[in-house]
Amino acid sequence: MHWAAAGAAIAAITLLLLFLANRRLGISTGFEDICSLVLQVPYLRRPAVLSGRRWRLPLLAGLVIGGWLSAVTGGGWAPTWDLGLFDQVIGLGPSGKLAWMFVGGAFIGFGTRLGGGCTSGHGIFGLSNLEMPSLVTTVCFMAGGIVTTQLIYRVLF
Amino acid sequence: MTALYLVLGTLFGFVLSRSGAADYNFIQRMFLFESFQLYGIIGTAVVITAAGLWVLKRYGKTVTGRALEIELKSFHRGNVIGGVLFGVGWSMAGMCPGPIMVNIGEGKVYALAALAGALTGAGVFSALYRKLQGALRLPPLAVGTGEG
Repeated sequence: MHWAAAGAAIAAITLLLLFLANRRLGISTGFEDICSLVLQVPYLRRPAVLSGRRWRLPLLAGLVIGGWLSAVTGGGWAPTWDLGLFDQVIGLGPSGKLAWMFVGGAFIGFGTRLGGGCTSGHGIFGLSNLEMPSLVTTVCFMAGGIVTTQLIYRVLF
Repeated sequence: MTALYLVLGTLFGFVLSRSGAADYNFIQRMFLFESFQLYGIIGTAVVITAAGLWVLKRYGKTVTGRALEIELKSFHRGNVIGGVLFGVGWSMAGMCPGPIMVNIGEGKVYALAALAGALTGAGVFSALYRKLQGALRLPPLAVGTGEG
């Protein structure tokens, strides 16, 4: 899909979510929503989390369905361990890959919640709405990603 | 309303999947400055959403006539530290939060480990909030770091 078409589609989804349902696009709080189903800590008993579950959990489920639909209609769905560049350059087996992904995921979960948002909430909605916290966070996560990938693929491996 | 969120999520997931935004190689090539694709997607999305938000805010109402509510995020030290940590994770996993879910749908087995890690990270953060709050001067618990 051409980047301009994908960008326009994401903008349309963001605007529809606001216009139809009065919701501000954001995915990473969904992790808190899922945690709140099992974890009883004060931070997860906030009204923002409890009321957000009603819309964010279906949105997250939709993302899974969208990925599945894309696979089914584009060559067929099958479980896979393939990881492109990672396989060619780093080349860990299944258990190493799971450990790597768990650590990466932990950085994502902790970092997005500490930063108050991710690529969607800060990078797309926040920047579009000219919000300073979102600009700062977006610059920081792009910088973190650039330095880490450069380190992994140009220095370490 | 649940159906609406499911449909919008599905569309979002489909676009992320087909555009490369949920693809490990595209993410690495973005951070290596070898591919314009992701910069193009985010840039286009921001420009069009900004224009749409300007119009919607002038109109001031949703489709049902309710006043438009856009909750602003608070500004705090966590923006910098959390942003950098998230960037490290985005690079390692080659997925940001939306694409973790999309990759699971696509059948990428390792994405389940990324989700388990993300839930663990978010859970640890939530459990430690009061301790982090003092050290990093985060907003009051009722406010939180920002929904998104």
